[in-house]
Amino acid sequence: MSNELEILQRALQREKAARKQAEQILEGKSKELYQITQELKDANAKLEDGLTEKTSELQGVFGNLVDAYVLMDISGNVIKMNHSAKELFGYDINQEKLNIVKLIYKEDYEYAMTSFQKLVAEGSFSNYQARVYTKHKGVRTVHINASLILNNKKQPIAAQGIVRDITEELEQKQIFEEQKKQLSAIVENSSLGIALTQFGKILQTNKAFQSLLGYSNDELLQKEVKNISLKDEYLESASKMQQMNDGEIDYFSVNKRYVKKDGSWFWAKTNVAAVRNEDGSIKYQVALIEDITEQLEFEKQRDKLVKNLEKSNKELNDYAHVVSHDLKSPLRSMNALLTWLQEDYAEVLDANAHNSLNMLLKKVDKMDHLISGILKYSSIDKVNHPKQNIALQDIVTDIIDVIHIPNHITIKIITELPVVIGDKFSLQQLFQNLLNNAVKYNDKEQGVITVSCEQKDEFWEFAITDNGAGISKKYHDKIFQIFQTLDDKNESTGVGLSIVKKIVDLYDGKIWLVSEEGIGTTFYFTLKNKI
Amino acid sequence: MGLTFLLIEDDEIERLKFTRVLQKNNYNHTLIEAENGEKALEVLENNKELPDLIFLDLNMPKMNGLEFLKILKSNHALRYTPVVILSTSSNHNDLKETYEVGIAGYIVKPLKYEDYAYKIKCLIEYWSVNELIKR
Repeated sequence: MSNELEILQRALQREKAARKQAEQILEGKSKELYQITQELKDANAKLEDGLTEKTSELQGVFGNLVDAYVLMDISGNVIKMNHSAKELFGYDINQEKLNIVKLIYKEDYEYAMTSFQKLVAEGSFSNYQARVYTKHKGVRTVHINASLILNNKKQPIAAQGIVRDITEELEQKQIFEEQKKQLSAIVENSSLGIALTQFGKILQTNKAFQSLLGYSNDELLQKEVKNISLKDEYLESASKMQQMNDGEIDYFSVNKRYVKKDGSWFWAKTNVAAVRNEDGSIKYQVALIEDITEQLEFEKQRDKLVKNLEKSNKELNDYAHVVSHDLKSPLRSMNALLTWLQEDYAEVLDANAHNSLNMLLKKVDKMDHLISGILKYSSIDKVNHPKQNIALQDIVTDIIDVIHIPNHITIKIITELPVVIGDKFSLQQLFQNLLNNAVKYNDKEQGVITVSCEQKDEFWEFAITDNGAGISKKYHDKIFQIFQTLDDKNESTGVGLSIVKKIVDLYDGKIWLVSEEGIGTTFYFTLKNKI
Repeated sequence: MGLTFLLIEDDEIERLKFTRVLQKNNYNHTLIEAENGEKALEVLENNKELPDLIFLDLNMPKMNGLEFLKILKSNHALRYTPVVILSTSSNHNDLKETYEVGIAGYIVKPLKYEDYAYKIKCLIEYWSVNELIKR
């Protein structure tokens, strides 16, 4: 029995020990559990804090987003709008319900639906650009990026979109494009070759530039300015370019040659202007080139012509000089011989012979006048004398003093004569010849000759009026031609008025006359105010 | 006191005119004639005595008046002899050129013989009262 008790006691003992152990384990476990629970609690609290933080962060972003933010359910009912969205669309969903369909611009409806289907199928779309109706501002063009919001079963429950009003941006862009178009139309259609360069490299060219050089734009973009220039001339323009790079000049102009694709060259006037960055460094240079080959050729030809003309003018003058000299000598001899005949044989010759000798002498005299006239005519020349201020009042007064005026003729200056720019000799000749004629051909008992002047816009108009025989209308043109004379008086050579005409022509003036036969003549001529 | 003139003139009648003026005025001056500049230089080289005065036409064949004048004025022995131009040309250039090289006078030959005779008479009378370098 005691043995049995002992066994029982031992068993109880073991059981107690086991229980104690189990209790200990349990206690440990429950302690662990507590700790875990505690940790979980902490973690949970932390998570909650985090979430709140994130939510408020998001709320902040959402509120401060410059772009409009719209959240809608799957049927298009707007659930949320940020401030920008309210501003843009003009609706407040707290006060009125808004379905997105209401905003879609009629013509863009189909596009909107396609985009929405894409959103549903793919979960997002971007760069959607269309017009929308707004409550107050009318139609605006917007840019939208959108995405679906799914629940944990991957089912769409909402959609959100970021909306940006690009109406003004588009307008600006359009204006800019339009201006760009206009500008490129000007550049492309310019007859001047235009190239944009940067430190010798060609960045852009226009049509005219390409056709001048015979290269395509692409070919030119591979070139540098020195490739299409002649070496020496390039160095010259390169030094100018350096000055431009150094900021010393903003503009320069050179005449240089350009080498075409076919190896030939042409002369071009080149204007280069600098386009600078804000800091003053060169952004690029704009070069405008104009083909002046023809112009230069033309100038060359003109110079040659002028030279030839000068030469033949001089030859003609020399010729007139020599010829008249050679003609004058025999006349002097003839005069001497005739005079000697009269002197040495005065008693032998009868009246008839004397008469013939006198007529011969007169012819010799006339011949001499003619030759002098030719000489004078040919010596009137623009380049001969320097231009000065000439007081015509003094000139004409002197002439009246010097020329032979018979007692029955008077010459009066009735308006003060001006000072003109010219050379004294030719102006004196002009007035003297006209006054001489007026005196010589006056057939009245009391001859009256007047000189007057009137100022017109750009010239002086002079008038020399006489009360002489008058000139028939049919001779008005003829009298200005050389060797044309209307009477057979010995003195008239037909050179005087042709000299007058030549002088007036030299001064770019005009000469004409008004005359009535038997009453008198007025010669008018003009001299420029400024020569 | 008679003077010696050298008249350089290619035209025979011109030479006759000059001679006639001397004769008509009964001057006892000596006249040497030369038809052009080359002949005149020969005369000057061969004559022991130099003329007192030279009358020179400008327009002559072979050596013209201006060429002769330049040679004369560059010659040390001959440069002191005064030269008077007798020419039909009143051209400004001719006057300027000859005065530049060095002349003592310039007469434009008038058309009429009487006028010519008068001018030459004045000339000769003027030079008759001048002091000249004698060699």
